[in-house]
This record gives sequence, C-alpha cells and structure tokens, in this order.
Amino acid sequence: MVEEKERLPREVVAMRVAKELPDGGFVNLGIGIPTLVSNFIPDGSVVFYHSESGVLNCGPLAEEDEQDIDLINAGGQFLQMVPGMAFFSTVDGFAMIRGGHVDVTVLGAHQVSATGDLANWMLPERGVGNIGGAMDLAAGAKQVIVAMEHTDRSDGPKVVEECSYPITGKGCVSLIVTDLAVMQPTPEGLVLKEVAPGWTVEEVQGLTGAKLIISPDIKEYEL
Amino acid sequence: MLQGKLYGSPQAAVADIQDGSTILVAGFAGYGVAERLLSALLEVGSKDLTLIYRDGPYSEIGSGPLPSIENLVSNGQVSKLISPIPYSPGGGGTIEECWQAGQLEIEIVPQGILVERLRAGGAGIGGVFLPTAVGTRFESGRERRTFPQGEAVLELPLKADYALIKVAVADTLGNSIYDGSSRNWAPVMAMAARITVAEAERIVEPGELDPEAIISPGIFVNRIVAAA
Amino acid sequence: MPPRLDELTMARRAASELQPGQVVALGSGLPARVAEIVPSGAPVQLLSDGGALGYKLPDNGEGASGPSLCGPNGVSVALGKDGSVVGTADWAAMLRGGHVDIAIVQPARVSAAGDLLGWTTAATPGLFAPGRTVDLAAGGRKLIAMLPHTSSDNSPNIVTESFPVADGRGCVDIIITDIAVMRVEDGALVLAEVAPGWSYDDVVSLTGAPLAPPGDLKEIAPSLESLNIERPGKVFPDGPSAITDLHDGATVMIDGFGGPGGMAHHLLVSLRDRGTRGLTIISNTIGIARIVNFGTPAGKLAIDHSILVENGQVAKAIATYPVSPSASRPSTFELAYRRGEVELELVPQGTLAERLRAGGAGIYAFYTPTGAGTLIGEGKESRVIDGKDYILEQALTADFCLIRGHKADTLGNIVYKGTSRNFNAVMAPSARVTIVEVDEVVGAGELDPELIVTPGMYVDRLVVRPEGFSPYE
Repeated sequence: MVEEKERLPREVVAMRVAKELPDGGFVNLGIGIPTLVSNFIPDGSVVFYHSESGVLNCGPLAEEDEQDIDLINAGGQFLQMVPGMAFFSTVDGFAMIRGGHVDVTVLGAHQVSATGDLANWMLPERGVGNIGGAMDLAAGAKQVIVAMEHTDRSDGPKVVEECSYPITGKGCVSLIVTDLAVMQPTPEGLVLKEVAPGWTVEEVQGLTGAKLIISPDIKEYEL
Repeated sequence: MLQGKLYGSPQAAVADIQDGSTILVAGFAGYGVAERLLSALLEVGSKDLTLIYRDGPYSEIGSGPLPSIENLVSNGQVSKLISPIPYSPGGGGTIEECWQAGQLEIEIVPQGILVERLRAGGAGIGGVFLPTAVGTRFESGRERRTFPQGEAVLELPLKADYALIKVAVADTLGNSIYDGSSRNWAPVMAMAARITVAEAERIVEPGELDPEAIISPGIFVNRIVAAA
Repeated sequence: MPPRLDELTMARRAASELQPGQVVALGSGLPARVAEIVPSGAPVQLLSDGGALGYKLPDNGEGASGPSLCGPNGVSVALGKDGSVVGTADWAAMLRGGHVDIAIVQPARVSAAGDLLGWTTAATPGLFAPGRTVDLAAGGRKLIAMLPHTSSDNSPNIVTESFPVADGRGCVDIIITDIAVMRVEDGALVLAEVAPGWSYDDVVSLTGAPLAPPGDLKEIAPSLESLNIERPGKVFPDGPSAITDLHDGATVMIDGFGGPGGMAHHLLVSLRDRGTRGLTIISNTIGIARIVNFGTPAGKLAIDHSILVENGQVAKAIATYPVSPSASRPSTFELAYRRGEVELELVPQGTLAERLRAGGAGIYAFYTPTGAGTLIGEGKESRVIDGKDYILEQALTADFCLIRGHKADTLGNIVYKGTSRNFNAVMAPSARVTIVEVDEVVGAGELDPELIVTPGMYVDRLVVRPEGFSPYE
C-alpha cells in the first residue's frame, strides 16, 4: 500500500525549495515548511529575506533572552539584529511585494490547482479566515512556490484539478514542491518533474487530484 | 556567488542601456543629480531614449557645467521627454529648439501626478484616481469619475528600464540614505525602475547605516557607483 | 496712478493670512518671497517641493550645518526646529491629502470664477511648464494667488472669461496683487483691500472682471500679529485626556502588527475605560497576541484589541488577520463574530496598507492586482490593464487614529522603532485626529530631520506612555 511508504521529511522539502532561490534574490517565506527553507541555502549563495512586518535583510531568530518586541517577523517570531537590515512601513513593504521587487515567495497551501490557482487563506468549514499578506504575495511576487504536504490529514489530495476552497490568487503558482513530488503548473496542465525516492509516477498520480503530465525528463527528487 | 552591486565605473554601470530605453533621472533644481552617471550615458551614447525627470538644471544655482538632460538632447540621444518642467523656464535652449523642429516629443505632467504615477508603477498599482487634474488641461483624454470625496481622474502607472539616482551613502547591499533636497524623486524612481543605478557619495559596509534611517532599502537599488 | 506695492509688501500681505499651527506650501516667484517675511521661529511650517517641510531662509552665519536643502525658487534654505526632510511623493501626498492649510501660487492669469492659468510662453504655444502649480492649485485647503495686477503690456491679469484650458478650476480663494486684495466668493470677485492711495474706481479700471464694491474698503496694511501667537500644544497629560472627544460610533484606526510591539496600549486601555461603543476598528489584527502569543515574549499575556471586544465596544472590524490562526483557539473577536455581534470586512494586508495610504494621500481609489479573481474581488469593479487583472479598491479614512511611536518632539514629529513602524506610519496621515503614544517627548529640533518618519503635520495629540505601564496583564 502506498500509504505505508515513507514520505520525505519537511526539511527535505525545504531543502529542495532552497535550490530554486536565485542567488542574491529577495525572498519572502511563509509560515510552516516555507520558514524552514532559510536553513538550507546552498553554501556560497546569498538570499535576502523580506518580511511583511517591515524589515528587509532579516536573519536568524533571536535567542530567548534577546527577544525585542520591536523586532519581529511576519509570523510574530523575534529576530536578531543583523548588519544590513532596513526598516520600513507596511505600505512600503507591500509596494515591494506588489511592485514585483520580491523575486520569490514560498507559501504553504490548502490546495493548489493544475493551472496554478492557490488556496491558502480559508477553510470553508470555518467560515472565516485570515488573509494577511498572502493575496498580495500571490499577486505580486515574481515567482510563487508552494511548499506543502502532498495530501491533507485524511490523505485527500491537496493538488487538485480545480480548487474547491476560496482561492488566494489565480494562476499564480509556478512550482509545487511536496513531500512526494515536484510539479509545475502550465497552461496545458500540471507537469510532474520529480518524484520522491522510492515512489513511482503511478503512486504519486494516485494521491493527486489532477491529471499529471509526465515530464520527458522526469527524475528522482534532486537535492 | 552573488555578483555584488558595486560597479567599478559609471560607464560600466550604464553600459547595457539599450537604444529605446526609458530612463528616470532624479534631481530637483540641481540637487541630487547623478552627474557621473549622466556623463557616462553621454559617452555610452544610447539613442532613442525616453527620459523622465523633474527639471532641467537651473543656471542660477551655478550648475552650468553639470551634464544635463539638455546635453543628452543635443547629443541626439533622446526621442521623448516626460516632465513637469521640461526645460529651464524662461529659455528652453536646445530642448525647445528640438521640440520646435519636431525632433523631440515632450509630454508635460504636473509633478504631483507624475510622482504618483511613478509610485504606482513601482508599487504594482494599476492606476490611481487623483483629483489634481480635474477641469485642467491635464485632464484631457483621461477617464473622470465621481467618488464620495469628489471628482477624480484616472492616472496610469509609469515604469522604466533604468533609474539614475544620487545618494549620500549606500551600503554594499544598496541600502541608501540621502542628503536633504537630494532625496526628492529618487526614492520613488528607485521603485519604478527595473534597474536602479545609484551614484553614492560614500559607500559603506552593511551595518554602518542606521536601519531606521534608510530611505531606499537595497531591494530598490541594483547597482552602486562611487561619486568620485 | 499711485505707486504699486513692492514684492515684499505683497509677500507681507500674504503672510498676514497665516495662522499658528498651519502648513503653508509656497510656489516659485512671488510666493517664495513669503519666506523672507515669516520670522524664524514663527508658529507655521513652510513647505517646499525641494523636500523641506518647516524651512526658513538661512540666518547669517547659519546654514552650513544641517541637510542641504532647496526652496521653491531653487535657493538654498535651512530647516527650522520643527523641520523635516521629505521626498517629492510625500510633498504631493501632503497637498492632495488636504494636509496643507494654505498654498500660495503665482499664476499668469486668474478668472473671476477662481480659475487659474499657470506659466506659459507666448513663443512656444503648446508647451507649458506647470511644475508644481497644478498640484498646489488643487491641493491647498485655501489657495492664495499672488500676481501683478496687470501684464507688462498693461492688459489685466484678472479677467472675466473662463479659460478654455486651465491649470486649476475654481480653486483660488484670495488674490493678492500689487494694487489690491480680492476674494473669490460664489464665483465672483469682491474687492477687499486696496494699496495705499488707490480707489475702488482705480482698481476697477485695471481689472478685466466685474469687481463687487466692498462694504468697507480697507487699505492694505498687513499685520503679522498672528505669527507671534504660540501654536496650540500637542502634548496631553495622559490617555484619557487625549480621547475625551472620541465618540460612540467613531471609526478608529488602531495599530500593532499583531504583537505588543507598536501598539498604543495605554490609549487602548484608556479607550476601554472610557467605554465608547459602536466603534468601527481598522487594524491589521483584532486581537491575536493573547491567543497565540504573536510577537509576545514567553510567559507574557499581552493587552490587545480583545479588551475592546470583550467590553462590547466594537460594532465592526476592518482587518486583514481578524481571527486566531488556530480554529480550536478562537479569539474574543471570532466568538463575537460567530454570535453575530460584530461585522467584519476582510481586507488583504497590502490592500489595507494601500487603502490607508490613499486615504491620507488624497487618492480616491486605485486598481490593485491583489484579490483579483478571488472572493475579495466580488462586488468590486474589475479591469484588465496592460493584460493583467486588477480590482478597484477605495481609500480608507477614520475619525481617530491611536498609534504607537517611539519618540516625538513637542511638535509631533515621530520616529518609530524597528518593525513597530508597520501600519503606524501608514495610518497617521489617514485619520481626522491622530493621537500618538510615545516613550518620550523631546524638545523641538532634537530629532534628526532626515530620520523623521511621520512629520508633525499629521499628528494632532501626543501622550507619553506612563512610567511603569506594562503592555502585559
């Protein structure tokens, strides 16, 4: 049974995403697996982090005895003061996002569609949700990468033909990295590019709610 | 490894400016003009340029020898100007002559509208409804609508390929501060251009600038050249 | 005819219109000379599009220190103690947003209806150099036009006909010329004052528009008395005293990105204790810090918006992150929302920031790509611009704004600290009454003018967070 096979740990998903970040680029990381990406920037490469809390070039999290309520990231975690930081207001922070100055954002998702629609702000059964900066990131970042588990808690597919949840942005996702596969939404459909070690294309398709187009150069998850 | 933002010479920093580019030139009455970058642009010689700028240099503040918009026009490099004050009031010089001769297109935009259109371009806004031009000659051809606040005119965003700005201090990541009136259009132009080139009076290591003082964060500054 | 007024006397007459606490934007030409009249230390702030707010002409032996600044005529100026450096976009936003009390321009012509024509040259028809004139004309709450009464060929500069093209329509309130002061009232001109020795008939003979005779014709004799009055103070003794006019049903902006950093806790508690009801709150979150410890040091329970919700004071929230990230740990607001006690307007974060900026900067509405094709776009106009989908979003303003700064000077110039700048700096210009809670108020001139994020023109009241006050429960 495929359910018993081992899926990739969150750290490996984050490591795979880290490979996509452009050297010297400006990157905004969402909460969850995306936050872990910063731990896996390849040696010799530099990435500058943008946070909607109003800071650029933010670095590692602060130790507990150095927590400063005036120095947080968008997830409410405390940051260390590092050389090269710049502070700005929320309006400037989002001008950076919407204006296409942020190269990549990595976001979590409830659902992603084959054409790159993203749903990550509300579960319909709750009836109310938080948008935060997700819609601006979806609409404005030059590239939107989704990093998430391939299926939900009841093993239902999160990669779907069409989102049934309220969407955050239309056709905005350029790459989906999960604990089973790397997929690329295209106008023609969802292209399967990489699969996790030990998994077959058929097994991945079985857990995916959208028809996968198998890339001619499909390979094993490349780290 | 990251290609740094520092360029060895102003020529190197503007060498890739293609014919037909749109360039934002910061400056107000001679304050905050990236003189070395403008000189380099004269040398590089890119043609068919559209320049967006606030004003021609004012002779009364002794900026005569400054390389200027007028030099670029004289050099045959410019096809269009967008500006609230396209030439020195009282004497248009070469700019006015070229315009009279039909060699140069000029689009006049009041400065508050122009700066907001650039900000919209830099901030990813598709258009703004501003009350400024209502009823004036600058409304012509634009969509007017009534809002609870009153009537307003739709102004569309402006973006550019390059911005040439002058900063007081930049760190090597591009974080920049200005001196007084040299700030003027630069922070907005830096947002609105694909590639912003900063001519810096002083270049320092990251951490030397107070992060509270930074006016143009490095995300908006792509290349840095020393001013002298 | 009797002699005409010289430029400085005209500037003096214009300066006599200024009242303590006002912000005055000057154009080039005659208006720039008003700066020569306003004494250093006067209780008004002059604004130059060269980037100087609160400027003055350099005193002798001064001017070498401080930022290098430019006045509207291109001449070098200095900052007063209340001054700060601004960019051109800030300048434009101040004008359009209605924050400039008086704008003074020198047009070429003014019509009886208060229309104006800016600078142009007869030699180059079709080319104008409006520079700042159009923005000043549209932006000042009160517009003064200063110009010679007649042109060099003796033709009147004050005319009846409306201009086929104009640089401002119906915008002029007061006209000051070298022979008279006129007011534009209900689309017609009323002569208010004449230069010494001039009669009503003299002025009429040089005016190209009907001029209503005044009830009481005065001679121009400007007094600068009002510039000796101290401007109203902004520092209030405590939170309760700063919000005595915050009324039931008010719309109130309250910031804090979400955590205790950057939140005006003392004002928040004061508002809770005041018990004002039916409030519409505009904020990033509506109280999540105490639910999930967002931005809160370990072991602390932060005061947040929840205290207003718990107290039944909130009718509606306009917010971006209104509920707890965890459905199993609902916030006070979420519980009230589920009971149908409060309304919610959900706004994406960048859109909220941009709508607030629009409110403060005189932008009535704007197209944003954020939310296009989603629930947020439903019921809003959508439009394709340059091949991309956008939706139309409207400006947001409020009656009051309770924000958190780090330091203020007595004139209300504000600096923030770290990521606590966030929405605070965006909201300050967008409310009718902006109240700032700071750690410390310093003397005028003690803040670096290059570092000021929120100029005092946007700040109405200041409160120092009481010593020993804790943002935690």
